[in-house]
Amino acid sequence: MSLSAGLAEAVSEARVDPDYLRIEKVSKRFGSTTVLSDLDLAVGRGEFVSLLGPSGCGKTTLLRIVAGMLAPERGQVAVGGRNLTRVQTHRRNIGVVFQNYALFPHLTVAENIAFGLRAQRLPAALIGERVKEALAMVRLEDFADRRILALSGGQQQRVAVARATVVKPALLLLDEPFSSLDRKLRETMQIELRHLLRDLDITSIFVTHDQDEALVMSDRIAVMNAGRIEHLDTPARVYARPNSLFVMEFVGQSTRLGGTAAGGEHGSMAIDTGQGRLRAPGSFMAGSAVVLGIRPEAIELGEGPGDAFNTVRARLRDIVFFGARTMLYFEPANPADRILVDLARLPGGLAPGATVTLRWPVAETLVFPAP
Amino acid sequence: MIARLALGFCWCMLALVLIFLFAPILIVVAVSFTESPIFAFPPTGFSLRWYGAIRNADGLIAAAWLSAQIALMATATSLVLGTLAAIAVVRRMVPAGEAVAAFMASPVMIPGLVLGIAMLQAARAFGLTDAYSTLLMAHVVVTMPFVMRTVLASLSLFNFDMVDAARTLGCSYPMALWRVLVPGILPGFMSGALFAFIASFDNYPVSIFLVNVRTKTLPIQLLNQVEISPDPTVAAVATLLILATVAALIACDRLVGLRRMASI
Amino acid sequence: MIATPATPAAAPTKERRPFDPKALIVLPGIAYMALVFLIPVLRLVGDSLRGAEGFSLSGYDRVLGDPYYVQVILNSLQLGLVTTLGTLLLGYPAAMALSRAKGQWQVLLVALIFLPLTVSIIVKTFGLTIMMRRDGIVNWLLVNLYVIDRPIRLVFTEFALYFGMINVFLPLMILPLYSVMRMIDPRLGEAAASLGAGPARTFFRVTLPLTAPGIVAGVSLVFSIAVAAYVTPGLLIGDRFMTMSQVMAKAYLNLRDFQLGASMAMIMLAIALIVIFLATYLARMGVARDPPR
Repeated sequence: MSLSAGLAEAVSEARVDPDYLRIEKVSKRFGSTTVLSDLDLAVGRGEFVSLLGPSGCGKTTLLRIVAGMLAPERGQVAVGGRNLTRVQTHRRNIGVVFQNYALFPHLTVAENIAFGLRAQRLPAALIGERVKEALAMVRLEDFADRRILALSGGQQQRVAVARATVVKPALLLLDEPFSSLDRKLRETMQIELRHLLRDLDITSIFVTHDQDEALVMSDRIAVMNAGRIEHLDTPARVYARPNSLFVMEFVGQSTRLGGTAAGGEHGSMAIDTGQGRLRAPGSFMAGSAVVLGIRPEAIELGEGPGDAFNTVRARLRDIVFFGARTMLYFEPANPADRILVDLARLPGGLAPGATVTLRWPVAETLVFPAP
Repeated sequence: MIARLALGFCWCMLALVLIFLFAPILIVVAVSFTESPIFAFPPTGFSLRWYGAIRNADGLIAAAWLSAQIALMATATSLVLGTLAAIAVVRRMVPAGEAVAAFMASPVMIPGLVLGIAMLQAARAFGLTDAYSTLLMAHVVVTMPFVMRTVLASLSLFNFDMVDAARTLGCSYPMALWRVLVPGILPGFMSGALFAFIASFDNYPVSIFLVNVRTKTLPIQLLNQVEISPDPTVAAVATLLILATVAALIACDRLVGLRRMASI
Repeated sequence: MIATPATPAAAPTKERRPFDPKALIVLPGIAYMALVFLIPVLRLVGDSLRGAEGFSLSGYDRVLGDPYYVQVILNSLQLGLVTTLGTLLLGYPAAMALSRAKGQWQVLLVALIFLPLTVSIIVKTFGLTIMMRRDGIVNWLLVNLYVIDRPIRLVFTEFALYFGMINVFLPLMILPLYSVMRMIDPRLGEAAASLGAGPARTFFRVTLPLTAPGIVAGVSLVFSIAVAAYVTPGLLIGDRFMTMSQVMAKAYLNLRDFQLGASMAMIMLAIALIVIFLATYLARMGVARDPPR
């Protein structure tokens, strides 16, 4: 099954029950600090949704509230139509993969996986069978009797996933499960975990501060900031059409130009920036301060044909080679601004110091009110 | 060259120190097996008569039994009280947690006699005349620092996410503590309990003020015996005590491993 | 029983930190220690400050104004000092060797040093009195090493006292020394030597400063316990060498002179606490000057 076909299937299933997990008006404070304020979130059945945000944005608090490890001051949490707000953690049937896995070092791999099944008092034979299946699923059949501390980081993570999923939870929560893996392993495990969860058809909430992780793994991403969800959409739309300046800055990189709206018509307007007058879709009151954003791969070198493009000239400061692509950094007229271009192939003869003409489609110019 | 010599000297000192440390202990063991009632060294002959004499010795068995009871109950009490307090401190549930921990562990800094006198006076002031309960209450204080220190150390190494993990897997909170927290801090528990038990069982300076004629702990009775009628019976009791200690250490090693205990 | 599960949807409170009922688990322990430990000790402080009619320093006056009791205090300090010095001189090289032992050997040797601590002080002191007898092993050794011509009386001499005290408290010096020494990279000495430092210079400029935290810990531990020792001096020298402990025990058990006992107890407590706080201060200073890598 290809990833995109799986995605389509998951999305269609989510439509069947788009309110499988329903978080309504949840608020939480620690002392005088408000961590979550009136937060709403609905997740469809079988969907994989990431909570993405900087540390302190409330994503882990939300996760702990859903798991029942924290009680919200207000609001409610329901899964599959069952209100869980007053249900204790151990009766919620919600699996959690913890940041450091929280595996039990006094038990073997198999005993760790069997832990939840034993707590349910299933017959021993059935437990053995389910544990065996789970071990096979995470390819750890030969490690059943190993001690946890004898496993590598990647193996420990697989045990944690097996332990959380073997009880067939109604919902799976993952709290930054990749943060202690090295980069290479992390990328492999992301794909592996995504496939695994799709095969198991488990509704998952994934907490991360790593935007790449969220983009790779999610059906939808909820970008969180200061206790609110700023943008909830598919990775492609969150990236291409961020709701706010915060989302644009947090997810991916972009050119950023401060300016003043100079009026316009028919949903298109002119903006005066340090790089001259530019055009953008949208309508702001003339005179209001705005910020323009352009994703680096939307920008091309050279003059654009006709009215559909914005054009600026800037001096090339630096060329950074990433292998598959090359990032160009330019010197903006206003030092608070930033201009960067992502090219698949570097044209010959381009060197730092050269002044270059850049263009991008007006339609791909993002406009936000200045903070 | 000189560094080598210095290290050689250090090794010689270590050997001497070990001989020095074990000499009185081994002599007591040797004397317990002699035939003659005056313990000459080197011992002559071999006999177990002094082990038989323990039964007839005045109050030794009763005192040992009392000491074991007090030590066991005091250790159990301070394990419960100390662990609960340690959890609150480590989980930052209370303000000034460090001060709380320092206070609970502070009796070890107070000279034993001072502690004993303080408790004697307080027991008198509050009209507490029962030696048994006074001893027990005092020994909880004596054992608390040992429990506090080891349990705090092992709790601070414990990952409390494991308790949450157990809860999400279907264990109630008390069940989760039992299935995950207790095995996790067992080495700390065991070594804390062992030290606490020994501290109580061997305690002389606190107990001396709290015992009476009918209620005497083993160290009090033993010291009496040594002062009044020092014969190899005392050595026989001492040998049994040493054996019991070694047995306890081996049992702990089997259960959780002394290495894990020592690392706490 | 251990803690109640979090109560959901508690109303927001005005306090900065909402009260967590789980925090109540700290109470039994604190309450117990306050009642059975803190209050008695505070009452003892009060006792030492009470004369025939109300507040008075006459207890301290009686102790510190009487040459006999001053000598008793000096005796205790001497006991603590000699014991500390003896254990340090014996224990330092032994701990050094211990820290250089390899793997399994180190575990075994540390266990052997530790084991005597689990044996009752009374048992060890009893063994010591047997060793000190006229026909005991110490006399036998001294005669055969030609230190003395014929056996001499050792029991109830200061020699017996210090021999015994050092024996009983030596592990308490070695273990803290060892725990610091094993963290020191033995190559540091070699490095110093390669830089041209002689053995004496290496020891005083590198090894000794690095092991200072262990020395502070061991010295303060042994001194604060030895200065208050009761059982070992009582059996090995008895009334010939009166210490504060002896006087305190007599004051309560025989003389029923509570003011005297309480004042003596307070002075002993003060000595012990001063040593401990001094050691803590020295350790902190060391840490501040020399952050761990």
